[in-house]
Amino acid sequence: MSAVGQERLTEAAEAAFGASADGTLIVAIHSWGGLTRFASSRIHQNTWREDVEFRVMTIVDGNKLGVAATHSLDPAAVRRAADDAIAIARVAPSDPDFPGLAAAATIAADDGFDPDTAEATPAARAAAVATMLGEFPSGMEGAGYVETVADEVLIASSNGLRAFASTTRSGCSVLAIASDSSGYVERLERRFGQIDPGSLARTAVDKATRSANPQPVDAGTWTVILEPAATGTFLQFLGYLGFGAKSFIEERSFLTGKIGSKLMGDLVTITDDPTAPDALGLPFDFEGTPSQRVSLIDAGVASGVVWDRATAKKAGKESTGHGLPPPNPYGPLPLNMRMAPGSSTIDDMIASTERGLLVTRFHYSNVVNEKETVLTGMTRDGTFLIEDGKLGGGVRNLRYTQNAVEALANVQMVGDETEISTEMFFGGSRAPAVKIADFKFSSTTTH
Amino acid sequence: MVSSEIRDLVERALDAARAAGASYADARYLQEEWEAVDVQDERLQGIDRGASAGIGIRVIVDGYWGFAGTAQLSPAELERAAGIAVEVARSSSATKAPSVRLADEPVTQTTWATDVAEDPFAVAIDEKIKTLLDASARMRQVPGLSIAEASMDFWRRASFLATSEGTRIDQTITQSGAGIRAMAVGEREVQMRSYPNSFRGHYACVGYEHVRAMDLVGNAPRIAEEAVALLKAPECPSDETTLILDAPQLALQIHESIGHPIELDRVLGMEAAYAGTSFLAPPDRGNLRYGSDLINITADATIPGGLGSFGYDDEGVAAQRSNIIVNGIFHQFLSSRETAPEVGEPRSNGTMRASGWDVIPLIRMTNINLEPGDSSLEEMISGTDDGVFMSTNQSWSIDDKRVNFQFGCEIAWEIRKGKRRRMLRNPNYAGRTVDFWSSCDAIGGPGEWGVWGTPNCGKGQPGQTARVAHGTSPARFRGVRVGVRG
Repeated sequence: MSAVGQERLTEAAEAAFGASADGTLIVAIHSWGGLTRFASSRIHQNTWREDVEFRVMTIVDGNKLGVAATHSLDPAAVRRAADDAIAIARVAPSDPDFPGLAAAATIAADDGFDPDTAEATPAARAAAVATMLGEFPSGMEGAGYVETVADEVLIASSNGLRAFASTTRSGCSVLAIASDSSGYVERLERRFGQIDPGSLARTAVDKATRSANPQPVDAGTWTVILEPAATGTFLQFLGYLGFGAKSFIEERSFLTGKIGSKLMGDLVTITDDPTAPDALGLPFDFEGTPSQRVSLIDAGVASGVVWDRATAKKAGKESTGHGLPPPNPYGPLPLNMRMAPGSSTIDDMIASTERGLLVTRFHYSNVVNEKETVLTGMTRDGTFLIEDGKLGGGVRNLRYTQNAVEALANVQMVGDETEISTEMFFGGSRAPAVKIADFKFSSTTTH
Repeated sequence: MVSSEIRDLVERALDAARAAGASYADARYLQEEWEAVDVQDERLQGIDRGASAGIGIRVIVDGYWGFAGTAQLSPAELERAAGIAVEVARSSSATKAPSVRLADEPVTQTTWATDVAEDPFAVAIDEKIKTLLDASARMRQVPGLSIAEASMDFWRRASFLATSEGTRIDQTITQSGAGIRAMAVGEREVQMRSYPNSFRGHYACVGYEHVRAMDLVGNAPRIAEEAVALLKAPECPSDETTLILDAPQLALQIHESIGHPIELDRVLGMEAAYAGTSFLAPPDRGNLRYGSDLINITADATIPGGLGSFGYDDEGVAAQRSNIIVNGIFHQFLSSRETAPEVGEPRSNGTMRASGWDVIPLIRMTNINLEPGDSSLEEMISGTDDGVFMSTNQSWSIDDKRVNFQFGCEIAWEIRKGKRRRMLRNPNYAGRTVDFWSSCDAIGGPGEWGVWGTPNCGKGQPGQTARVAHGTSPARFRGVRVGVRG
C-alpha cells in the first residue's frame, strides 16, 4: 500500500554521503499501518499513520560524532541533517571508545514481510474487532486493539554498508469486562493471518466468566503459575537490567562476575534470537552488524550478554548485533529474548499444585532494586486460586515484590508452548508459562 | 509562526476531508524540534538533534471517528491521507455505537507562544557540553563514585490547528530540562542520587534560563557524596509510621494516584485494555472524600512555565484552571469535547493533547497541583516524634484502577523526636489512594511550593509520551507502611 522501497530510501540516504565527514552512518525507518482500538464494545479510536525517519551519524577528525535526524524523504532534507550532524561533531569532544563503522556488506531480507499484513485495510481490522465482539455474551463488554504495521529499515554507511529489510507485524488484544471480573489475552505475530480473533475473544470471555466474584486472599509467599505474558514481564525486565553489555561492564548487572555460575533453575534456558522465524526481530542491528543468537542463561547457568560495537571494543569482544540507533546512551539490549519451552502443559502445572495462584498477566511492573533484580507490580485480568490440583475461582489482585532471578531459580515446571509479549516500555519476548515456588506478594488491592 | 505554505497545506487537508464526507474535521500540523545532550563520566555519550514534521487529520464521518497522519507534506499525499482518514472512520461502523457528539466550543483564531527569555536552541552546543562535563567531573572527584551522568533536553513544538468549525490556532511551545545523576555501585546494590530530580532532571515550559538557574555544577559534589554514603547507610526499616515526602516525590504521587484516576477517558473505560480504568465514577463528583480537609487539587494549564502549560489544547479549547478536589472532596474530571457531554458537563476543560502529528489527542494531565498549605518542612519534621523523610523518586507502580501503589525513593532520613537523624537507604512506601490522601495532616506553604515537570507520562495505543507537571510543596502523612520487602 505504502512501501517506498530500498531504492528510494537508499537514494535519500546517499545524499548524506556528499557531506564532508570522515564517515557517515544512516539509520532509515519507514513505517505505515493502522491501529483500531475498541472499548465499551465499540470502536472508539481508529487510526492510520505513515512516518519516515533518517537518523544521520557523522564522524569528523576520526572520532568526533554528531547525530541529527529528519522525518522527510527528501534527499535535500537528509543532506541538511548530515550537515547539522557535522556541525555538532565539530564541537563535540573526541570519543576514544568509538569503534568505527561496521565493515562494508550487503544484506537484503524480506522474509519477514507479509504483503497481506502490509496491505490490511481499515475494514479488515474493524472486521476482526466485530468478530471478537461477536463472541461476547450479553452483560460483558469488550476492549482492546487490532494493529497491522509494516516497516522498511535501511542501514547504510559511507564505507559501503547497505543493509535493508522489510518486515510486518500484527497485534491484537481483547479484554472481557464483567461486573466484577475481567479476562485478557494478547497476540503478537508477523502476519495478521496468524491471529484468530474469535479464539482470543473466547479465551478472554472464559477468563472473565471463571474469575467472577473474586475472593480476597492474603499476601505472602505463594506457589504461582505464570502464563506466558507474565513470564515475559520478568524476561524483559531482566533484559533491560542485566543482559546488555553496558550494565555488565559497569558492574550494575546481576550477571557481572557471574558468568558460568548457576543462577536459575535447570529448566531455565534463555537466549536472544532476533533471526528466529517466530521472532519479530531484524536480520541486522542498527549499526549494520548481522544479528546473532546469543545464549544468556543455559540450563540455569549464566552464559552471556549481548554486545554492540562500542561495548565489544571496550571489552575485547565481538558485537553480537544488538546495537541500538545512535546516539545510544543505553548500550546494547536484547529485544528478542526467548525462554525455551519445557514439556508441561498449564493443566499439568495446575494438577501438581496443592495450593497456589494462576496469574494471567502483570500490570505496571517496575524496578525496586536494579542489581538484585527486585521488581514490583500488580496482577490483573484473571488471577485464580488453585486448590488440591484444581483451578478454582478468581481472587482479588495482589502486588508482587519479588527478586526476578530468585523467581527463575525457583522454577519447577515449564510450559510446552510459547507466546510473544511486550512490556510497556521496551522490546518483545517469547516465553512459556512457568510454575514457580515461593513467589512473594507484598500487598493486595480492592478488585 | 508556521509558514503560509504550511497553512495552505493544512487548509487543503481539511478541504479534502470535508469533500470526502467528513461532517467534522480538524487538521493539525506539528513540527517538533529536539536536542538532547548526554554525558557519562568524562565522555560525551551523544548529541541528538532533529525535527519531525507532519499533519494529522481527524474526522467524524456518519458519527464515527477516523484519523490519518503523514510526514509526507505534499498536496497529493495530504489528499490521500484525508481520504484514508475518512475510510478509517467509515470502517468504524462495523461496531454500532451512538454518534460522536462534541461539546460546543467557541471558534478561536489566534496565536500563542511560551514566554522564553533565552532560546535554548540558540545557546551554543559547546557551552552545554562544557556545563555537563564540568558537573560530571565534580561528581567524579568524590571518592567511591562509580558513574556520573548529566543531560539536557530541549523541545520546540510549532503547531497549526484548523477545524472545520473555523478555529485556527498557531501555537509554539518551548520546553527545557536538565539534570545530573551520581551512581555508586556496590557488591549487591546500585545507589543513585539525582539533582534537581530523577529521570533526567527538572523540566519546564521555559528557555535556557531554567538550566542556568539549576547550578548543576555547584550541586554535583553533594549529590555524589550522598550516593556514596547510601551504600553504607542502614536500610529503611519495615514499619507503619509517619512519612514526610519532598516535593519532587510528592509530584509523582499526585501524578499516579490523582492525575490518572481523574482522566475521564479512563473513567469511561476508553483505556481499559491497556493503561487501565479508575476507581472513580461520575456519581463521585461532589460526594467522594478523596483525602483530608487539607487536600485541594487544581488542574491548571495556565501556570506560567509549568511543563503542562499551553495556550490551547489540540481540540482548540483554551487552557483552564479547574478545581478537582476541594477540601478533600472530589469535584471534577479532566475532560475532552467528546467525553464532557457524556457526564453532563457543558464544556471540555481543555486537556486533549497529542504527543505527535501522527497520533490522536488524548485526555492528558496539564499541571495537576496540590495547593499549598500553611506548614513547612521544618515544622513537619519538628512536629514528628517518629517517622521517615523520603526524597526523589526511584520507582513507581500502581494498579489498573489506581488504588494500590508502591513507590521507591532514592534517599531517606530517619526522624526521631522532631529531628532529622541518620540517612536510610532503599526507602519505599505503599498504600491505597484514598487512605493515603486521607492521612495527610500537613502541607508546606507557598514558599516551598514549586511546579515539577513529569516528561515521561505514557498512555494510549499507539503509545504516546506526554509532558505534564505537578505543583506541590512537601507534605506529611500518618500511619504509612514503609520499608516493603520482597
